[in-house]
Amino acid sequence: MKKNLRVIRELIKIRFHNLMVFRLDFFSPFFVDGSLFLVQLLVFRVVYSNVDAIGSWGRGEVILYIGTFSLLNAVSMSVCFFGLLGIQDKVLSGEMDLYLTKPVSPLLRLTFEQVNPGSVPLILMSLCIIAYGAKVSRLQIGPESLLAYGFWLLVMEILYYEMEVLMRAVSFYVISNARLIQLEDASLDLCMKLPGIAFYGVYKLVFYMILPYGIMATLPVQRLVGEMSWRLGLWGISVVAVFTVLTYVVWTRGIRRYNSASS
Amino acid sequence: MCKYREIARVFLKSQMAWRADVAFNMIFTVSRIVFASLLWGIIFAGKDVVAGFTFHGMLSYYIISAFLYQLEMSDGISGEVCARIRNGTFSKYMILPVSIEGYFTAMEAGVALFYLGFDLAAALIWVFIFRIEFVLTADVTIWLCSLCMILLGLFFMVQLNYYLGILTLKYQGIDTFLMIKRHFVELVTGSIIPLALFPEAVVRVMKLLPFYYVTYLPSMLLTGKLAGEAISGLGILAAWCALMQALIRLTWSRYSRKYDGVGI
Repeated sequence: MKKNLRVIRELIKIRFHNLMVFRLDFFSPFFVDGSLFLVQLLVFRVVYSNVDAIGSWGRGEVILYIGTFSLLNAVSMSVCFFGLLGIQDKVLSGEMDLYLTKPVSPLLRLTFEQVNPGSVPLILMSLCIIAYGAKVSRLQIGPESLLAYGFWLLVMEILYYEMEVLMRAVSFYVISNARLIQLEDASLDLCMKLPGIAFYGVYKLVFYMILPYGIMATLPVQRLVGEMSWRLGLWGISVVAVFTVLTYVVWTRGIRRYNSASS
Repeated sequence: MCKYREIARVFLKSQMAWRADVAFNMIFTVSRIVFASLLWGIIFAGKDVVAGFTFHGMLSYYIISAFLYQLEMSDGISGEVCARIRNGTFSKYMILPVSIEGYFTAMEAGVALFYLGFDLAAALIWVFIFRIEFVLTADVTIWLCSLCMILLGLFFMVQLNYYLGILTLKYQGIDTFLMIKRHFVELVTGSIIPLALFPEAVVRVMKLLPFYYVTYLPSMLLTGKLAGEAISGLGILAAWCALMQALIRLTWSRYSRKYDGVGI
């Protein structure tokens, strides 16, 4: 554990040195993703100027949803997204050899080697959106609700991370996972725009179970607004547990299958 | 003209090499329809009409706008021009015996022609699967106006993306701007939600911008709405195309000498 922390600290230090070389690109992720979520806010503001509610959710709940999704995305962008992004290329080119020969877990190194401090303002922006959403929905948030919300955020951040790893770990088994990444992009794009409460039938099956992007921001918000039943909570925990096992199996078996540049 | 026709033909043919892309391009048009169907399904559960749209009218709008959005593939032009200027290989286009902008326009025409049939097939499949009572105008004049507007809109987007690409000659790194642009263009062309939902003052401003006429107005015209704006829309969009052409010429003549072919 102590060794891993030292490795993480060193990786962050090296990353900062690299980022200082390309200063102009430093805040790119903030501007790009910030604009994406601002557009989302604008879209729902316009929708709510024409309707009173979407299902059981008013404007405040949807703002909370957008803020929560933005926060999950921002944390991932700040910590691991850019590191995990390169997994496929590293597998195809054989560069993964370098990661396997180091005395540290390859996934740990991939997770932390491209931390992006330029995305940190996005976390602050997301927190502002969440605070605004709470104000609009006139929520009385006690410490217990806040703690539970924090817990669900953490659980869903783990799920978000696992989905990112899983989608890219498939490249150990196939020549190209480009279509899977396209599917991930399309699903994320849909679930960023649409709260999970809008899903039903086969859509619910897909986005609550198979590609669980639909529960990622929905569950924390439902807990915060007091809409979460114990069944839903249990479902959320079960999904995360199943995906944790799945990610572990796919990753470890993938590493074993890896045959350097001929993979 | 022959040369441009040949470029379009080459790009049309070369799409055959990317069959999986074609299939997935078709499949992923569904994400917009699913979004519309779920969002508006839940909203229309308690209402019959929202901003002048019925549920099936709204879905028809999304089918047409998703079709047009998918057909408009010029986004890659700005990225291509930007990347090639940055790495010094833009010379590839400069030595061609055709205008560079014309080359990209012909390329876009070839690609769009290839995808036209597939995107149309995808739209029909989604209408059938989602059981949409498709609303489509029968007015021939409106059809003609819409087709002209769609073509002008596609051309304007090529111009815009080419213009943004050559701005790399001055600003060197515009990737971040291009990504931000993508998000806002999606909003102001009415691809996420119909612009009719925006407050009237905002719509009035948007009518002065070209994006209103790229996806939104043709989709509305084809679903039998806003027929009165068809002719004026064509005029405004044509004016924007002319303005953009002048801007491209001015920018190119001013900054093309900055390109030294060795990359940034």
